[in-house]
Amino acid sequence: MKFINATTCPWKHAIGEDGPKPDPDPAPYRLLSLEQWHAVRAHWAHDVKVAIEFPNDADIGQLAPDLHRIALIVLDFPKWTDGRAYSQAHLLRIRHKFTGAIRARGEVLVDMMQLLARTGFDEVVLRGDQSQAAAQKALDLFAPVGFYQGDVAETRPWFLRSAA
Amino acid sequence: MYQYTDFDRRFVRARAAQYRDQLERHLRGELGTDEFRALRLQNGWYIQRHAPMLRVAVPYGELSSRQLRQLARIARDYDVVSDGPFKGQGGYGHFTTRQNLQYNWIPLEKSAEVMELLADVDMHGIQTSGNCIRNITSDAFAGIAPDEIIDPRPYCEILRQWSTLHPEFAHLPRKFKIAVSGAAEDRAAIGWHDIGLQLKKNAAGEVGFQVFVGGGMGRTPIPGVEINAFVPWQQILVYIEAIVRCYNLAGRRDNLYKARIKILVKAEGQKFFDAVNAEFARILADDPAGHEQIIPQAELDRVKASFVDPAGVSALPEAALDTRDPAFGRWLQRNVHGHRLAGYRAVTLSLKRVGIPPGDTTADVMDTAAALADQFSRGELRVSHRQNLVLPWVKASDLPELFQAARAAGFATANAGLLTDQIACPGGDYCALANARSLPLAAEIAERYQDADELEDLGEIDLHISGCINSCGHHHSGHIGILGVDKDGAEWYQLTLGGSDGSTLSGTTTPGKVIGPSFAADEIADAIDAVIETYKRERQAGERFIDAVKRLGLDPFKTAANAVRTSTAKA
Repeated sequence: MKFINATTCPWKHAIGEDGPKPDPDPAPYRLLSLEQWHAVRAHWAHDVKVAIEFPNDADIGQLAPDLHRIALIVLDFPKWTDGRAYSQAHLLRIRHKFTGAIRARGEVLVDMMQLLARTGFDEVVLRGDQSQAAAQKALDLFAPVGFYQGDVAETRPWFLRSAA
Repeated sequence: MYQYTDFDRRFVRARAAQYRDQLERHLRGELGTDEFRALRLQNGWYIQRHAPMLRVAVPYGELSSRQLRQLARIARDYDVVSDGPFKGQGGYGHFTTRQNLQYNWIPLEKSAEVMELLADVDMHGIQTSGNCIRNITSDAFAGIAPDEIIDPRPYCEILRQWSTLHPEFAHLPRKFKIAVSGAAEDRAAIGWHDIGLQLKKNAAGEVGFQVFVGGGMGRTPIPGVEINAFVPWQQILVYIEAIVRCYNLAGRRDNLYKARIKILVKAEGQKFFDAVNAEFARILADDPAGHEQIIPQAELDRVKASFVDPAGVSALPEAALDTRDPAFGRWLQRNVHGHRLAGYRAVTLSLKRVGIPPGDTTADVMDTAAALADQFSRGELRVSHRQNLVLPWVKASDLPELFQAARAAGFATANAGLLTDQIACPGGDYCALANARSLPLAAEIAERYQDADELEDLGEIDLHISGCINSCGHHHSGHIGILGVDKDGAEWYQLTLGGSDGSTLSGTTTPGKVIGPSFAADEIADAIDAVIETYKRERQAGERFIDAVKRLGLDPFKTAANAVRTSTAKA
């Protein structure tokens, strides 16, 4: 898991003088909203990869045709108990075979680490008050044991692993 | 019973260690109250009216005597109030309608220690609360019922494992309950669950599940509806994954009272079914990991091996019993149940006694029940949906001796299925959610109906009492349902009639109908009496209460209940 500092992160919003640009020009390390991506995807240079912030109430499947052009998808936790982004991440990894980065932002807490890692997130922006050391510890807690059901990291459930 | 593997043991220990870490961070002030809340809930820890409450999972209701002794030890040593206004309280557990056990007085600081004690006997509180997939419930007579088609327990265990700490489904819009029945008779009220599973055999003799979805009680009681007539058993995890994923993504999160899957199913109907069936097809067709969720025969066989009959148990010649003692005869009729094996019986140890809240069990009583299980039932017990204990492996020839022992221990109230075998939540005495107390009313009913002949004459009546609309006392499914409501800070009780849990006796799963405005606390027991008197007067020969309600409609009962109103009587 990569712990991201939002201010030093190279991916930047395309912001003009009056807020987000509706139709930003293609440039490396652009972090676009879904609306911006819709506006530019037809003429965005195919060799310039983008990052997209995806809301947790939209169908993640709509990105499927564009995934090869996306380096990073940022999924949202408006509240940490709102678990929709776990399904979105799972679908991106398992069904759509997305190999870029998936980042969690919003109310991202230490005790979500295992869930995030297991559904396919590989980057997090922790909420300001959260301890990175505690987050790392939370990640390691079950590592020596493992889990019953399959996940993105280990798709085989325990019953297949133990039989192997 | 399921035998924990080394992996299962290491897993619950890791969970207990994780909980200890969270508790300690909370006690050090590093984990805020709100954030700790959602974490402790998923380990079964609530904060209630007077103290924390711990809900321990009894997976599909199966319990060993060793486990019950440990539960007794926890009640004795940890469920203790040593000072303050409630000094001396505690020392007991409360068996719930969802086959779990709740403690009411364990201090939070000791909670991690208790989780470790539970792990010592292969138990836990994982997902007994919170907005996640809860403890899987089933038929208390699973594996021994004469009308069983397929033993549901191996499937329940596979589902338990699959749902435990499922990373994608840890924060659903709302709680999610699954019940499984494998018999002709539904004793698990599957129609009242978010997912109800009925094991079936198809024409070719293959095993699968009829799947119901969208059942639930609460503010908006809705029976589940069939979403799939037959899902092959191998694919059931995939099918449930499809349902829960569609719910996770589309269920409402803007309003707590509209967040259960029942609201989504009701709003979208066929569209939701189509979405689930499409998702199911896509997992199987497109997801490389999809096929890995298909249950291999070897895994079913491995789990099944835990559910074979105990060593030394095999069919016996039927014993002729001396039934001259009418009390013994009544107990045989009420609390002794048929068994798949000749010469064996299942026996209800009633937890419904005058002066004791339904389902409540002190540490000593737990120890006694464990001793009876060792002596008469191969060390195994079940927790029933009706908040009683069941001994599943009793030799018919042992029944006279068991009767004496059960009677001496206070377990032999011969009322299984009768009016005083009532279901009640802990209510306002303990629960922070409740609007009204349920236990004093339950006590009053137990008090009023002590005459065994009268109870027998009244026959099967499901009386269910909930202290609030969360419906833990299943008032919606009671033939007589009582709901505690709060008006202007006072306790009031709404009376419903004609609810059904979906059993043959009760009829199609349906919520009861409210008869008139709420009754005052000092009127409700009289109103129940009036309803029962009306039944006695109007019934036809052999007609059960629920059938009389269906035939007569609500009016005669309503008129009689209204006649006993005092403070709520209209001028």
